[in-house]
Amino acid sequence: MIQFEQVSKTYPGGFQALNQVSFSLEKGEMAFLTGHSGAGKSTLLRLIALMERATVGRVMINGHDLRKVGPNKVPYLRRDIGMIFQDHRLLPDKTAFDNVALPLYIEGYTQGEARKRVQASLEKVGLAGKEKHYPRMLSGGEQQRVGIARAIVNKPPLLLADEPTGNLDPKLSMEIMRLFESFNDVGVGVLIATHDLGLIARMRYRTLTLKQGEMINDGLQHGQSSEGVAHE
Amino acid sequence: MSRIKPTQRKGASTVKISLLRRFVMFWVHHLQQALGSLGELTRNPIASTMTVAVLGLSLTLPSTLYVLVKNSQEVTSGLENASEISLFLEKRLDQNAVVNFAERISLWDEVESTRIIYKDDALQEFRDYSGFGTAIDYLQDNPLPDVVLVTPKEQHRSAERARMLQQKLELEREVNSATLDVTWLNRLQALIQLVQDVLAAIALLLCSAVVLIVGNTIRLMILNRKEEIEVMKLVGATNAYIQRPFLYTGFWYGILGGFLAWVATALLVWWIGHAMTRVSELYESPFKLSGLSFNEVLILWGVAVVLGLLGSYVAVRRHVAKIEPQS
Repeated sequence: MIQFEQVSKTYPGGFQALNQVSFSLEKGEMAFLTGHSGAGKSTLLRLIALMERATVGRVMINGHDLRKVGPNKVPYLRRDIGMIFQDHRLLPDKTAFDNVALPLYIEGYTQGEARKRVQASLEKVGLAGKEKHYPRMLSGGEQQRVGIARAIVNKPPLLLADEPTGNLDPKLSMEIMRLFESFNDVGVGVLIATHDLGLIARMRYRTLTLKQGEMINDGLQHGQSSEGVAHE
Repeated sequence: MSRIKPTQRKGASTVKISLLRRFVMFWVHHLQQALGSLGELTRNPIASTMTVAVLGLSLTLPSTLYVLVKNSQEVTSGLENASEISLFLEKRLDQNAVVNFAERISLWDEVESTRIIYKDDALQEFRDYSGFGTAIDYLQDNPLPDVVLVTPKEQHRSAERARMLQQKLELEREVNSATLDVTWLNRLQALIQLVQDVLAAIALLLCSAVVLIVGNTIRLMILNRKEEIEVMKLVGATNAYIQRPFLYTGFWYGILGGFLAWVATALLVWWIGHAMTRVSELYESPFKLSGLSFNEVLILWGVAVVLGLLGSYVAVRRHVAKIEPQS
């Protein structure tokens, strides 16, 4: 599902955000990605979402070698990745319904066709009945859940979440995490970047740890490491 | 890692949609986006109105000039057809020889008709109209020659053909000299040609300005919606999908601007025509200014739409691809 092989990312100006990172995440696997600010979490997610390209090494997503993905193909690959952001990234002048339906409109659904899926999606995140609300009428937790509904509405095989609980209190954070768990239960791969170590400890999932651009712990037991993992 | 290609995944979820239905949906989407971007125009009415006004009024000047050139061409083509060649005959010819000569010439292929002005008649006329009156009586003999006016046939009336005929006639033994007064006609035609060239240059400049102005308006619209475009790209929108509403906006600018240009041109032509009618009444000529024909209106509209589309295309090409999601 996700496979990094000796991936390095150096930004223009010489800052090395990732240094020879290797790991792989199996299909339907749920994992946390942690590390201090500036450890390279965001860069790693941006590489997966094709917002950046690796300087060295190979990134495979859903069976595609990203080095071979031209700019024209990027949108189609992104449709297979549901992305969730700390700041939600909702469109303020569109209702919750239209925000969630956006990926479906882009894929060519009409409003009528999208209705069933959008409603199912909003129901799953516990926001049934708030279709007509604009983002500013919703609380922070609700906005985040609209963002999650948007990420899952076209049923992508992989979810990426960048600090999804960054602005939420512990109780709400736990609710969001349970939501991710429920998606994982039906076979969706989930990778959550967070520095909320308390939350990670309670959840007991595989945890990948980055430190200054290097993967110091890929969350696997020694000797059990899968192909391509070259951590010593 | 068993999810292989996005197209396959897409196929799995939408395979029930037939090709025909997809085709229909494609156009339904286009229509939706077209109407949506029309609604978008009303959201910032001032900027839209100004762009449409610039587009429309910029096209009004060349189209009005075009109407004037078209009309002046019609007028001068009428003048050209009236070309006549005057043959001044040798003085030694007697009246019989003149008549014979005129008849001989009128049998030529190029000639439609001939008319003789005898020197005595000409002198009489000169005496009556010139005001020299009795002064002419002091002349010992008539200084005027006999004149034959030759009207060429239809296909020999163009400036060039008439000149050839004039040269041919000049070679005749009886002819002293032949004149074809087309110099002023040539000058007029050159003048019209000059106006036409100036018109083309002005039209070209104004059209480029329109493209730049529309492009700039669309550019601002794109930058205003930068965040929205980033989000759309994050959830998998292609550049083409994001560009489409902006292209439609350019299209609507063209439609509205073309309409405005048509109305403004019609008003100007009406106004100028009004003034011209007064002038032509004084000259007792039934001249009437003709406006844009239906086809010309369609062309004007087409040009406006093309300019609107071109302007927005330039803007989206440059700016939509440049906006990439940052986080």
